[in-house]
Amino acid sequence: MGMNPAMLCRAALVLLLLGLAPPGPARAEHTEAERMARWADLRHAIFGDRVVEDAGDLVAIDAPIRAEDAAIVPVAIRVAETLAPETRGLYLIIDNNPSPLAAHLVLGPIADAREISTRVRIDDYTYLHAVVETADGRLYAAARFIKAAGGCSAPAGKDQALALERLGKMKLSLADRSRPDEPIRAKLLISHPNSSGLQMDQVTRNYIPADFMQTLDVTYNGEQVFRLESDIAISEDPSFNFSFRPADPAAAGVIKAEILDSSQRRFGQSWPVPAAAQM
Amino acid sequence: MAAVVLGTTASHAETAALPVTEIASGIFVHNGVHEEASAANEDAIANIGFIIGDETVAVIDPGGSFAEGSALRAAIRARTDQPIRYVILTHVHPDHIFGAAAFRDDHPDFVGHAKLPGALAQRGDYYVRRLHSALGDEASGTEIVVPTVLVSDRLDLDLGHRRLTLRAHGPAHTDNDLTIFDQKTRTLWLADLLFVDRIPVIDGSLVGWLEQLDELTAIPADRAVPGHGPVSVPWPAAAEPERRYLEAVAHDTRAAIRSGIGIANAYRQVANSERGNWLLFDDYHPRNVTASYKELEWE
Repeated sequence: MGMNPAMLCRAALVLLLLGLAPPGPARAEHTEAERMARWADLRHAIFGDRVVEDAGDLVAIDAPIRAEDAAIVPVAIRVAETLAPETRGLYLIIDNNPSPLAAHLVLGPIADAREISTRVRIDDYTYLHAVVETADGRLYAAARFIKAAGGCSAPAGKDQALALERLGKMKLSLADRSRPDEPIRAKLLISHPNSSGLQMDQVTRNYIPADFMQTLDVTYNGEQVFRLESDIAISEDPSFNFSFRPADPAAAGVIKAEILDSSQRRFGQSWPVPAAAQM
Repeated sequence: MAAVVLGTTASHAETAALPVTEIASGIFVHNGVHEEASAANEDAIANIGFIIGDETVAVIDPGGSFAEGSALRAAIRARTDQPIRYVILTHVHPDHIFGAAAFRDDHPDFVGHAKLPGALAQRGDYYVRRLHSALGDEASGTEIVVPTVLVSDRLDLDLGHRRLTLRAHGPAHTDNDLTIFDQKTRTLWLADLLFVDRIPVIDGSLVGWLEQLDELTAIPADRAVPGHGPVSVPWPAAAEPERRYLEAVAHDTRAAIRSGIGIANAYRQVANSERGNWLLFDDYHPRNVTASYKELEWE
């Protein structure tokens, strides 16, 4: 995969941080041993010498085995009921992507970690790893293999004019909530190209600059639900499903979302949440 | 008109002419095969062709590779020595326009939608690499040709007692679709705004496409040329299966979004009634639903 100088710098930095050589271009030719070795390297680069335990039944990754569109692969991370209250961080790692650490979420105390989902780009047949970090610093990893390729360099944008016009706009949908003791479940859409910088303008021979969301902060009545640090692995028009338990379940409130992108643009929006219906 | 010196190179001279059918006086169409691009078919999978006026020739889509473009050029030269004045690029997809480089020596105007250059910038590199991996050596010579004349609304081209009206459409099949109406024979060349038999590909806007169909089906034409399907079909009757499919996708995808079904699984319950009606259904339908879901979830 070719890269422009800016991307090269950034990718080199990422790889330097990870202490790794880029994965070879050969698709599906990695042996299982090579895949395991790559994960061992990545794990060491991200978590150092910390112990990363096998999550067993505590963490699961839900994703299609074979993706219909490698640029829009839905991934849900599920954390078991017993582990969810202690969960403070989530890492999503796409081992064979050019920038493997796809997302790092810091969860606030009100977040419900049982299920969080998004859509990602996948560049080559790869393992996905989800690592849960608990309040007392333990790490639990789950893995899932997925067959998809070309997602990072695939062209984005079916309607360029609309993409520009809608840049930074957000949409939030709330799931029906019939009882105050249920968490509030929300789906957040953010209109942003989240482009990878891996597409070359064939006419000018320049690469189209990378333009992606770096952070996303979601709060409820000023309390952190989560902070996301991410990059090009998140699909165009980033989408997140998340849930949280408000401090006062019976009261109304406000959800606020704010992003900062790689061009240093900030976009934000807020939405009222009505009080839950009384039983 | 003065005699024209043809820029016929050795490779042009050796090229076998692409088979074409004269569907109306002076309008010739090659029938693309219903396959994915491969070395065996040289990416000749779309309906492409040309229109001959009294003075000049207009190519409507130069084909999916340099090889196909060269064969189309040979088919033109087997019928007329008139200059090839226009090469119309109906939209960004490789199977329609990657043969353009075969016409460079003719120095035509390359005519495209005002949004085509932007789409080529975004996607050209990816398409070229993909074509080379699908076709291998058969892709050689294929390169991006940028349009030199842009259409943002309408443009008339005169081929010599033959006027073509080009129209730039809003986002539908892609965000850079052009159609061509030949006044002389009342033939409406729709390119990929019309799929017959082969499943439509949604790569622009589902809602936009249905709107464009409303306008297009109101045009009184004696026949239409689909981008994929038979070389000539009755109009507007031939649009009905496509409209039915697009409406089913819109209806069922909206229902899936409303009931909270995720983007990965939605296609399983969207427009299943259409499966038997289209070739390559399983190859394209899931992606059509994914694209539609992404569009409609903003409603």
